[in-house]
Amino acid sequence: MTAFFKREFLSYFRSPVGYVAIALFSFLSGFIFYSQFASGSVDIASEVISLRSFFVIIVPIITMGLLSEDKKRGTDILYYTTPVSLFNVVIGKALAAFALYAVMFVNVIIHIIVTLICGGKFGVGSVGAVIVFFFMAFMFISIGLFASAITDNQIISAIVAFIFILISQLLSTIAQYVGTAVISILGIMKIKSAETVGRAFNSAISWLDPFEKTKDFRLGLFSVSALFFLFSIGLLFLYFTFRILEKKRWSQA
Amino acid sequence: MDKTINSENKKHQDIRSLKLKQYSIGSVILLVCIVLVVNFLLDRIFGKALTFDFSDYNQNSISKETEDYLDSLPADTKIRVIGLFDRPDNVSGTPYQYILPLLDDYVRKSDGKVSVEFINPLTHPTIISELDPSNAHDLSSHTDSLVVEYNGKIKVISPIDCYSFNVEYFYQTGDYLVTGNNTEYVFTNTMNTLTQGFSCKAYFVTGLKEDGSVYLKQILESMSFDCGEIPVSDNFAVPEDCDLLILNGPNSDIPEKVYVALTEYVKNGGKLLVSINFSMKNVSDGFERLNKLLNQMNVNIDPALISENNPGYQLNGYSQDSAVIITDAFKDFSNISLLHSTNARSVRAISNPESAYKIYPVLVTSPNASTYDIDKTGNAIENSLVENKQFNVAVLTENEETGSAAYIFGTLNFTSDEYISSYGLNDSNVDFLKSCVRDLTSSKQLNVLNIATKNVDDFSIKTAHATSSSATAVLVAFMIVVPVAFVALAVIVYTKRKNL
Repeated sequence: MTAFFKREFLSYFRSPVGYVAIALFSFLSGFIFYSQFASGSVDIASEVISLRSFFVIIVPIITMGLLSEDKKRGTDILYYTTPVSLFNVVIGKALAAFALYAVMFVNVIIHIIVTLICGGKFGVGSVGAVIVFFFMAFMFISIGLFASAITDNQIISAIVAFIFILISQLLSTIAQYVGTAVISILGIMKIKSAETVGRAFNSAISWLDPFEKTKDFRLGLFSVSALFFLFSIGLLFLYFTFRILEKKRWSQA
Repeated sequence: MDKTINSENKKHQDIRSLKLKQYSIGSVILLVCIVLVVNFLLDRIFGKALTFDFSDYNQNSISKETEDYLDSLPADTKIRVIGLFDRPDNVSGTPYQYILPLLDDYVRKSDGKVSVEFINPLTHPTIISELDPSNAHDLSSHTDSLVVEYNGKIKVISPIDCYSFNVEYFYQTGDYLVTGNNTEYVFTNTMNTLTQGFSCKAYFVTGLKEDGSVYLKQILESMSFDCGEIPVSDNFAVPEDCDLLILNGPNSDIPEKVYVALTEYVKNGGKLLVSINFSMKNVSDGFERLNKLLNQMNVNIDPALISENNPGYQLNGYSQDSAVIITDAFKDFSNISLLHSTNARSVRAISNPESAYKIYPVLVTSPNASTYDIDKTGNAIENSLVENKQFNVAVLTENEETGSAAYIFGTLNFTSDEYISSYGLNDSNVDFLKSCVRDLTSSKQLNVLNIATKNVDDFSIKTAHATSSSATAVLVAFMIVVPVAFVALAVIVYTKRKNL
């Protein structure tokens, strides 16, 4: 696993991908930090929460080549022919992408230091936002890795990851639309409990929304179950990825 | 023969492949179900137990005082808190940020005595008539508010009631600068008032060009006072149920009719709280009739501005903004010995031979203070200076025979919206005022809860650093230098490795 992690992590810096991702993240975080600094009030939690919105762009960039590139070059054959656990391959690659995210986050750490030097505050809400940021990064990287496993085309992989992450960011809105649609359809069918069913749909879909689950962290309310949700969904997608690789190993055999 | 063997192998391979496929799909489905079920159970059963409030000042948790109050209520108590709007999905940065998580905590810790619902009158119009059948509270115009209901009695709480904000800043900029979170203070005291009823009645005399008394009313309500107003008019009369009459920051003298009514009120043992300071709004008013009333109580509010000459008592280097000493008789009212006074008038004890009132200085300046009179233009009047003396900033005057008593403050730092909004409801001056009010009405004080307000997070950076040049430096460093450096690195790496 360490070997895969090392190889994958260093490969980010042997190609422009890692630098471009860091440059993009630096610019976006710098813009948010500057906007707050210029107004005389810096809330690191707000900055980190705003940066979460850019998962949809940055995660596909850093995960698109993780497995699809190997497939395209044919180097993935090594995973299947060498005596290594495919789960180690998956974990190593996910950790490499996660480590790149951690490197990018150094920008925010510098912002925190500047804020503290300038007499600002890094409170409990900000700590909560940072914890959620990393758990979400893990979850979305797992999704990105899964997207990379299902195709040998980096662009398709990026688009699939983009769509997955976008859907997860819009779950609350989607839930509302679905709820309303269900109420309307059942209403037309003159079913009495249309509103109850519609609301149930809305609640069920909203329940899957990772942003909704973790929104109170910035207020200092830390929920273990919300973090467990992010972590378990991340693991779930890693398992999906593992199964895809495993399938290929057996089909090649 | 070969054909049979091949067919046999293929058959085995197909079975193996099918089994692996089934295992793969089955394990994925099983894992998805396990993850969803475990998460659902964890969320529904242990979600609240596994949620921890680490916020500064425990913003999202009710205090021990509130918990004790809720525990003291009978088990069948049903207090409903109804938000007249749909529950917002995201409360961060909204006025509900500190309200909704705290209300959830009330529900969590009240053993079913408090419930929180969100009923939007737009989708459920009957809620208005259900809560307020007589339409006394005009709930249809409070669609951003929360209603606390107990046994058919209701009280409306607007989100803005849950915060202290700097009134002076609001007047200057039109923006709200939040200085304190009073959510628990407001909700617990409201619940207490609804479940226990009011103990006392306080009336504010209005119509004397005074500034607002919003915060003083909030403080009195937290002390179980029902607050009302008596506007100055030809029919002015003090109601019989009045336990405390308040003149808070009048900027004009009381009319004759009011003077007569107040004289009668104090003669009959009435309790009075008078607060008056020195400002350009009242510089020209000598308050002759008010002083005529106070003279009967052996007190006179002088038209002179107190100037503190002892640098040790001056605050921020200003002689009109100073610390004042709590006299020994009133030391128990506060856990500190000095309080804050600004633009104070001297409250002088006089000796009226016909009066049975005894005077007790409450707050005094240092012995090195002086006073001088100010004209309408704000300039000191020549030869009006009185030097090196200790002046009273507040006194208690008491008539043991009639039971009448009054606290007279020569500063508004204990009662004004401007001061309380800046320094908060937990300020020492506010605590001291509450002790004075308790002293005036102690026999009637019941069911009072001592709920502290909470500070709100302040993310401001130091003014010295919040300059345009430092903002530009941040812009250049974080938005230009760092990203461009990484783009340059990307170009270098690409150029060097493109042919590898």
